[in-house]
Amino acid sequence: MKRVVVTGLGAASPYGAGVVAYWKGLAAGDCAIRALTLIESEGFRCRIAAEVPGPLAGSARRTRADRLAIGAAGEALADARLSPRERARTALVVGAVGGGMLEAEAWYWRGADDGDRRGALQAVRAVLPTAHAETLAARWRLGGPRHTVVTACSSGAVAVAEAAELIADGVVDVALAGGVDAITRICFMGFNALKLLDPAPCRPFDVERRGMSIGEGAGFIVLEAEAHARARRARVYATLAGHGMTTDAYHVTAPEPSGDGMVRAMRVALERAGAAPSEVHYANAHGTGTPQNDRIEGRALATVFGEGGLLVSSTKSMIGHTMAAAGTLEAIATVLALGHGTVPPTANLATPDPDVPFDCVPRVARSAPLACAISNSFGFGGQNVTLLFRHGLA
Amino acid sequence: MTATTPVAITGVGVVSAAVTGDSRALGAFLAVPAAPGVDVLAPGALASLVHPDEARRLSRVCQMTISAARLALHESGLDPACGLGLVVGTEFGDLASTHAFADGFLERGPAGLSALLFPNTVMNTMVATTAIAVGARDMALTLNAPTVAGELAVARAAAAVASGRVPAVLAGGVDEVDAVVERELAHLGLGRERRAEGATLLVLEPAAAARARGARVLGEIGGAAWRALSARPWGVGGTRTSRAVDAALDIAAAQARDLGWVYASCSGDDARDRWEAELLDAVLPPAAPVATLARLLGRHAGLGALRVAAAAWTARSGLLPVTNGTTRVERVRPGRGLVHGLARGGLQVALVMDAA
Repeated sequence: MKRVVVTGLGAASPYGAGVVAYWKGLAAGDCAIRALTLIESEGFRCRIAAEVPGPLAGSARRTRADRLAIGAAGEALADARLSPRERARTALVVGAVGGGMLEAEAWYWRGADDGDRRGALQAVRAVLPTAHAETLAARWRLGGPRHTVVTACSSGAVAVAEAAELIADGVVDVALAGGVDAITRICFMGFNALKLLDPAPCRPFDVERRGMSIGEGAGFIVLEAEAHARARRARVYATLAGHGMTTDAYHVTAPEPSGDGMVRAMRVALERAGAAPSEVHYANAHGTGTPQNDRIEGRALATVFGEGGLLVSSTKSMIGHTMAAAGTLEAIATVLALGHGTVPPTANLATPDPDVPFDCVPRVARSAPLACAISNSFGFGGQNVTLLFRHGLA
Repeated sequence: MTATTPVAITGVGVVSAAVTGDSRALGAFLAVPAAPGVDVLAPGALASLVHPDEARRLSRVCQMTISAARLALHESGLDPACGLGLVVGTEFGDLASTHAFADGFLERGPAGLSALLFPNTVMNTMVATTAIAVGARDMALTLNAPTVAGELAVARAAAAVASGRVPAVLAGGVDEVDAVVERELAHLGLGRERRAEGATLLVLEPAAAARARGARVLGEIGGAAWRALSARPWGVGGTRTSRAVDAALDIAAAQARDLGWVYASCSGDDARDRWEAELLDAVLPPAAPVATLARLLGRHAGLGALRVAAAAWTARSGLLPVTNGTTRVERVRPGRGLVHGLARGGLQVALVMDAA
């Protein structure tokens, strides 16, 4: 198995374009969850979200999600300084859920309203999550293996894990992996229908938490075989030392109450990394802010690391739940936390829930010596992923 | 897959308008192939394959997936408790539920939204419900791709099994005919491809492990790979370099001249079909017979996995259903062959197949 390192980062987040803006916002504890403007929200209990401010990358003819992906992927590739020859062999794994649903919805709504079916072909094509991978591969001539994974809210993390496996198994030396989602009507309405959205900005791990806030964005990471990165003297942000992917096989929307699937994902990641639980100093939690998810994740973290065994925070408290982008944006936050020795806070956390027996870094970022950290992502269908990073070339 | 690690197929589950059953049912159909009169499952076709509660709660495409999964697991005799992953490819997922969810809002506003339908609008709903139904608790992936989602899922699963990360995987594809998509494609004059619906799932496990537990090995995947060939989004390209085929042959330690026959993804999309034919002409031995089941059974993500199961049957039997104008069965060299898939946008998938 080849060792896998991180050599490029790219983000389009509710703080705007770029990794610098992303980290600046997280480290400052800025909550980017505001009034929803992209779609009509009249009549819904929750009317807020974390939108990516413009200008967006790419042509205005492309879907919003494509433009988010182009911005983040382009930044990651430029950051890694890959040559055209290296890109021609680079794998691409994209995690996506909504695809170009925002634009497909506009077409469907219009057709229902006045029977106007113009733009049908674009709508049918855009609705597929795989559209992003085709766009990115064509734009940067990425010629390695390419696939699009849909594992709901853990899609972005699965994409990173999938890319890591392609490198570890020697299929490729370099991979671009990430997740992307734009806010869509279906997603906003669906979580409203499930009564999972807090009318106020979400408060993960707070005893008064009432649900999640949705967001949008894109995050992309360039992963590389360590030897390949060394040979071309690439800057190495972190080592992706292990990952675990499991399934609850319990319920389509609810996590398994004991947290068994989450525990297994974290333990597999530790085992593959050859790391003891005590080596892990920080967990970027899935931390959606729903009463059930946070309680069960807290229980699972305690099972693996012991109560209070590490610092825990939820960056969703600041940028909302960016759906398929969440797993990658949070992996980037974890890598940056290792690099800066700073744990991003859990914004809006006033009264910590005793059912989550950890220091959840309320409201203000914390300096801490970090050598090893995990990023958890859990999706509908009980799709659990844990990514374990070590600082630098560990 | 990076080394010669044969992966065995030990179970097949097919649900389609033409044939429903395990590898025996599929073999019987392929030996005397005939296009079904319809491209959609008959009403009630799934009734005997799912529990009444599942029939009531789950969407049609989820029921198809669960049915195929149970058929495959039953034939395999594998105990999911020993560690089972799930990789399912789909082009459109549960689009019918998405329409229904949106229509609820368009008709009645926020009060018309169904909390029960919403999870089905996420494309991994088939994997989620199937994992619950069969107890698959290892890695579970939904792969989205046009045309080649089924064979891509099998290739990805074969790689996972070969790497040793997961003991066994249920892998394949599923799609249902979506009325809105069909209406719009026909309206745009893009309805030349025969499109259908169905699910096919295969049980994959290391060949050595399958034999050790006394399982019947239906065929082996000697090498599997997927690559992005140069093409615009939804476009066709001009390259004749089949990098996925080269990679799959390399993994299988095989040569192109070893391939006695091919199952291709040719489906009636003229530009894409021409590109695939050019790619195969450049890599295959002269006059290698090519089977194209999409003209017979209609294109859907389940068909990609069905072609892998059919290839295992051809490797065993030396029979190949050829559907060039007329449908007939040809005698071919048993043993090694190729399953090939090519999508608009340039995604190419190749699996080198061997008899057990």
